[in-house]
Amino acid sequence: MSDIGVSLFLASRSIRRGNRGTFVLTVMIIALVFVNLVFLPSIISGVVEIFNRQSIDYTYGNLVIEPKENDLYIDDVAALKRKIDRIPGVAGSSPHIQIGATFTYRGKAIPGTVVAFTPQYEKEVTALHTAVTSGDFLSDGDRDQIVLGVLLAGEEDESKDRIESLGGVKVGDSVLVTFTNGETRDMRVKGIIETMAVQADRQAYVTTGEMEDVLGISDQANQILVRTVEEGNEEEMKVALMSFGVQETIKTYEEKAQGFVTDAIQSFDIINAISTLVSLVIAVVVVFIVIFISTVGKRKQIGILKAIGIDERIIINSYVIQVAVIASLGTAVGLVFTALLTLYLTANPLIFPGGAVSPVLEAGQISRSIAGLFAVSLVSGYIPAWKTAQEPILDAVRG
Amino acid sequence: MIVARDLARTYMLGAVPVRALRGVSFTIEGGEFVGIMGASGSGKSTLLHAMGLLDVPTAGTIEIDGTDVLALSGREKTRFRLNRLGYVFQDYALIPELTVEENVVLPCLVRGVPREECLGLSREVLRDVGLEGRMDHRPAELSGGEQQRVAIARALVNRPAILFADEPCANLDSATSTTILDLFARLNEEFGQTIVMVTHEDWHIRYFCRVIYLRDGLVEREEPCRTKKRRRASPDRETAVDDDRLPGDV
Ligand SMILES: Nc1ncnc2c1ncn2[C@@H]1O[C@H](COP(=O)(O)OP(=O)(O)OP(=O)(O)O)[C@@H](O)[C@H]1O
Ligand SMILES: [Mg+2]
Repeated sequence: MSDIGVSLFLASRSIRRGNRGTFVLTVMIIALVFVNLVFLPSIISGVVEIFNRQSIDYTYGNLVIEPKENDLYIDDVAALKRKIDRIPGVAGSSPHIQIGATFTYRGKAIPGTVVAFTPQYEKEVTALHTAVTSGDFLSDGDRDQIVLGVLLAGEEDESKDRIESLGGVKVGDSVLVTFTNGETRDMRVKGIIETMAVQADRQAYVTTGEMEDVLGISDQANQILVRTVEEGNEEEMKVALMSFGVQETIKTYEEKAQGFVTDAIQSFDIINAISTLVSLVIAVVVVFIVIFISTVGKRKQIGILKAIGIDERIIINSYVIQVAVIASLGTAVGLVFTALLTLYLTANPLIFPGGAVSPVLEAGQISRSIAGLFAVSLVSGYIPAWKTAQEPILDAVRG
Repeated sequence: MIVARDLARTYMLGAVPVRALRGVSFTIEGGEFVGIMGASGSGKSTLLHAMGLLDVPTAGTIEIDGTDVLALSGREKTRFRLNRLGYVFQDYALIPELTVEENVVLPCLVRGVPREECLGLSREVLRDVGLEGRMDHRPAELSGGEQQRVAIARALVNRPAILFADEPCANLDSATSTTILDLFARLNEEFGQTIVMVTHEDWHIRYFCRVIYLRDGLVEREEPCRTKKRRRASPDRETAVDDDRLPGDV
């Protein structure tokens, strides 16, 4: 039998005939540490995913084309849109005109943003039209009609509002809109949309025709949202657009959403790093104590093995193998726990400001957690075994 | 053959030196069954530990079958113990997590001998010590005498050149002691097994072919080899020595 075979033999007997309770307890602790290592990152991934989803679906599409530096508007928008739509990989595009405005309702004035688009085009890119909770979405020829985000419309009971609102605007009500260029319009509320994306829910929406009338411009836009056929290849599509002659600034939804999301993710990452560290320290301490107690209890036995003529390395390895078995079972049980928790939270998602968040398990995170747990377990199993095996034989055998 | 020259071992108890061995020299030939005797504290265990490579003497040399064993590295000593020596501790020193068979087979497996062969060898030595029926028991389920026989079987499984035994009968009643001494005598006579055994029981002397007496860490005297005939002649030994039964069949 090879040396490692002897180590395996000793380890298997020790596990089979050693203390069940300690074994199960250690496995459970490793399992819980594993859950802890995987769970928080999976929630963060869930938040990031929902954020990206909403950025794409309600705010930016996949790509946003903006005026060249020093320009206020993109000119010849109709032609540019036609050009973009012909590029392979583009599913659709929607020119936007955005401008600041003050909304007045029942004597209450709230500053905000009005976004203008052609509804028919908008449906190619965003899912705003699917988020109407009352009334209707805009139609192409609409004039003096406005769609409000639910946070802007607000609740009659202001205590239910999460941010300052108009205090419960209903479909059919009139809202006075004062644009930043001084123009004023009395507009009928056609619909209310609720997307759960904070930015989309705080804006108001009108048709391009309406906005051109207000601003006295035509065939201009200050954003063109682009929907790509595939997701995840935004960077390549950006290059594709440039190579097809789009000279304006192109940003991916991630670049647009930066600031806010990156800050949030950075904070999450710090929390996560602390939690990971604490989990691993717990794993180290527990495995160390368990193996330490186990090897100290087996001091005499280790002395006997050495006296018989068994190499220290074989003895130490038998403990390392035991720890590896514990770590394997622990991570396996931990995976089961994580799967159950994920199933539960997918059925009952956590509600975040951005929407309902389900944990997203990432293979990378899971393998990193497994690797981390194994590494700390093996080290914290090795050290006490090594230390005990260093003792002079006679001291150990005397007990 | 063991050649010990000027062996000394000084323990330090704090700042106080305890001189357990103070210059012990002797030669033990292959095939001898040697007893080491002496008062408590005379250094018997210390001497056996030194010969068994379990402890390092402060001074002197030990040669076993031509090897200067004190010059070996730690790992080489471990190998030497495994391949050449068998050691029986006073308190059995069995591994509680292993069955009788596993305890005995372990030193053989460690040598890299194929499993089947080891199982065969361990079955053989367990038969020699009369425990073939107890192979699947755990040490805790055996009597003191049975455990001591397992320890002996374990020490013998690798067919060691020398078997060391430190008071192997100290915890046993005289009937069980007799069984074990008979086993040693048979191994010595039939297989020419070299045995070095520590004891303080005078009635064990009749089993030895030579006795080394220690006193205060020095060899006090050596009694020459007794012949087999003389041992057999001793009247109170009749039953034990002439008994042809296997030692375990009590
Ligand atoms: N680890 C130790 N530290 C200090 N002194 C020791 C140690 N081991 C043995 N001694 C001392 O060395 C001397 C010889 O001890 P040893 O165990 O060899 O005696 P022994 O002949 O085997 O006695 P016994 O018949 O009681 O077993 C004793 O005085 C003992 O106190
Ligand atoms: Mg002693």
